[in-house]
Amino acid sequence: MNNEQFEEELHVRPLQDGRVYTNFVFKILLKNAVPRSANTLGSEDEAQHYTVFPLALGQIIREYAVTELHLSLNAGKWDYASWGYPDNPSVGSGAELWAWMGEGDEKRVSISFDARWQGLRNALAGLFCASLGELDERRTTSPVYAFQPDGDLPAESMNLAYAFHPSENICTENLTPFIKLLPCKSRSGIASLLNPHRLFDADWHGMSIRVLWRADEGVEVQLGVQAVFDPIRLRGQQKRDWDFPHIFDRTITRACPVAYSSTIRVDLPLSGPYTLTPDPITAGNGTAVFDVMSANKPLDVSLLYLNEAHFTYPVDPSPQTDLSIARSHTGTSQAHGRFHVTLTNSLNHPQRVAYLETPPWIIKFYLHTLTVTVDQDPRPRKDIIQKLTYIPTSSNLPTLFEPTLILPPNSTVHLTLDFDKTFLRYTEHPPDAQRGWDLPPAVLIPLSSNGSSAPPSLPRMYTNTLLVDLATPDFSMPYNVIIMTCTLIAMFFGNVFNLLTREFIAIKVA
Amino acid sequence: MWTPRWLLIFFFIVLSLFQESSQYENQEQQVKGFFEKAESASGHTNNWAVLVCASRYWFNYRHMSNALGMYRTVKRLGIPDSNIILMLADDAACNARNRFPGAVYSNPGRKLDLYGENIEVDYRGYDVTVENLIRVLTGRVPASYPRSKRLLTDDRSNVFVYMTGHGGNEFLKFQDNEEMSAFDLADAFEQMWQKKRSYKELFFMVDTCQANTLYSKLYSPNILATGSSQIGENSYSHDLDYDIGVSVIDTYTHYMLQFLEGINKTSKTTMEDLFNIYDPVTIRSHPGVRTDLFSRPLNDVLVTDFFGGVADVDITEEYDTSWDLYKSDGPVTKEPRPNPSKLMHVEKASYAVSIAKEAGERPTMSRAWAALALTGLLVLFTLLHGCSRTTSSTQEKL
Repeated sequence: MNNEQFEEELHVRPLQDGRVYTNFVFKILLKNAVPRSANTLGSEDEAQHYTVFPLALGQIIREYAVTELHLSLNAGKWDYASWGYPDNPSVGSGAELWAWMGEGDEKRVSISFDARWQGLRNALAGLFCASLGELDERRTTSPVYAFQPDGDLPAESMNLAYAFHPSENICTENLTPFIKLLPCKSRSGIASLLNPHRLFDADWHGMSIRVLWRADEGVEVQLGVQAVFDPIRLRGQQKRDWDFPHIFDRTITRACPVAYSSTIRVDLPLSGPYTLTPDPITAGNGTAVFDVMSANKPLDVSLLYLNEAHFTYPVDPSPQTDLSIARSHTGTSQAHGRFHVTLTNSLNHPQRVAYLETPPWIIKFYLHTLTVTVDQDPRPRKDIIQKLTYIPTSSNLPTLFEPTLILPPNSTVHLTLDFDKTFLRYTEHPPDAQRGWDLPPAVLIPLSSNGSSAPPSLPRMYTNTLLVDLATPDFSMPYNVIIMTCTLIAMFFGNVFNLLTREFIAIKVA
Repeated sequence: MWTPRWLLIFFFIVLSLFQESSQYENQEQQVKGFFEKAESASGHTNNWAVLVCASRYWFNYRHMSNALGMYRTVKRLGIPDSNIILMLADDAACNARNRFPGAVYSNPGRKLDLYGENIEVDYRGYDVTVENLIRVLTGRVPASYPRSKRLLTDDRSNVFVYMTGHGGNEFLKFQDNEEMSAFDLADAFEQMWQKKRSYKELFFMVDTCQANTLYSKLYSPNILATGSSQIGENSYSHDLDYDIGVSVIDTYTHYMLQFLEGINKTSKTTMEDLFNIYDPVTIRSHPGVRTDLFSRPLNDVLVTDFFGGVADVDITEEYDTSWDLYKSDGPVTKEPRPNPSKLMHVEKASYAVSIAKEAGERPTMSRAWAALALTGLLVLFTLLHGCSRTTSSTQEKL
């Protein structure tokens, strides 16, 4: 097993509102491996031998020649103001799938990029029991600034395909195949804490699968589960003490024997006396580290807040992020509406950001109504938006709206944009049409300032999803029309036929 | 015309053919005997299940719990996840309204969690449509669909199809949006039969209102069908849990599951015992059974023929070490030679050809060719002789 390495880590961070953020990361590295080039798709692939690297995922990646893949399934709304930035930035609620794949030389490769994207979606849908087949051309776009690769890309021409399905939900049937990809499954190691009955009760929960390539290391698969638990609600009393049986209903009884490293990192609270048991291996820089391999089993980490009879929520909580974004839509009509986006910059210097919006074809933007104002000043500003990438919607393709903005320091920028809602055909409505349509979250991507080659320091942020109410027809209308027409025809025809053909014959009455 | 010579030739041809067919008969019998277990003549080698819950929304929690109860039973009795297609039109376990996240219960008091920690739902949410169900049954799924979304049955598969939801006279409602009619279902099953005989026997169970009408239009062979209520009757829900807030199971499925809880993989309970528990008073509707398309008598059909994936395993004696190709060191590459006297019953028919090779002669067709050649010679001889005779007779006439 000297060319594969499996590491697992659990990061626990208490939050200022009494909740606990947990992040499980399982990294499996295939050393010195190179992703399959799209130009080799015409010929048979070389044999792949894995021991701990997940075979099901590896087969899919090689079948469609994918270099970088990100799939996340999340539920809940991530509260940036109270919880700060998550370790894994993909926290949009729903199913998000994006992949960097080689374009493929058309003369040598018989399968097109779109066909590979479709094959990848269906293969992942079957593997993770999710309806990822819905992420077809109606929800797929190719953003310009957003979703730059986290790893390296080979020298050939690569394309990004990004799709989001906000109505997708996550449940045990998604976690089951996820756990089956791990070498130790959920029998030993940190994965034994993944209890679906507690995980899907968490205030925010999500799982992610990332595949990337680092040229100097190899192909890495990162399987992650993030969850924000609320120990106060689980206990029923206003105490924010937590331990593993309290939040997970499990403890770690055995370490995973094939893990290269298996650690638990707990961020220590900033204030107040507390007790952390058992004793960590190292405790410094505000973090305590436990090593699962060497710790006494069953391992149960617990944090007790001393001298705290009951927890009081912070009265004036400070926002945990320097940038913040909020999106809403206004309007009472079922024919049109208006987006309203608020971007706040609390830094002391201007920040260049990109804003990505990819609504489906049911929303038609009117770009000339795009108005940008800063703080309370009602005059529209022309200097905030630097560049705009805009692909309007056509037939059933989504819109791509990606402006680059410069946010002035210590200010709030308001964007408003009017849109029309489509009147859908009778058969295009989903089965629960009266619920409305979910719009995918908008993404805020901080960029480095113009001309700088340094990577941006802040991660991307997601807004909430929006529910748009479209005009629904009366679905019983065709039935009513048929019944009424048949009745009228029968009555009309019946009467006319009788008038024309009935003969009155006098019968002799003697 | 029927001279003794002709009779002799005819007799010889018939005899040679008989010998030919009897030799094939012998081999057929041996192969058949390999597949058939000693007790029943079912003859299937693998089991599949298609479990469909066709209704959405929280108040149809009981339909999802019906399908999940069947899923749990079928898994417990041995059908693996790879052979089960589970279609749930809505998410009950992780629904925002569910007070018990990740769990679906089928009885008040919440003793048994049907969702568990190891479940694979193949079609969920908006994917559960009439079109997708017919595509799965007939095998016409898009090329990029993975194996978990396909019904990969063959002509030795026993398939159990269970459907639940809201229904009526000869239809089943999918997601409150569209219906599947009994004719569509009958045609789908017929396509399964025609197309590579995709089932050996099919058991169709349906729990909806007026369920018996849904199987009234079936016309393919080897189908056993049962439903929860007859035409004009509703099927009722059974139990209500006050913490969940909705009905958690339907009456018919509740009694079915209760009966099946008493069955394990070794059980010899037959389908006749299953249908004997039908009591219109407790079930509050008249369940029906349709057996006219089914060839075997019901007291011969085991419940585990459809609900379970039972593998009959005979332990053979230790294999003969003289077959080791590498004696001292290195791996043993020769697999144990199957002993023809003790046939190993396995679910996959992988050893059929080798067994036939051991037990009987390889069909070389030598007898057939010899018989044909001899017949040809005799025909030629009689023709020549006949020709000479007719010429002589015509000469005489003239």
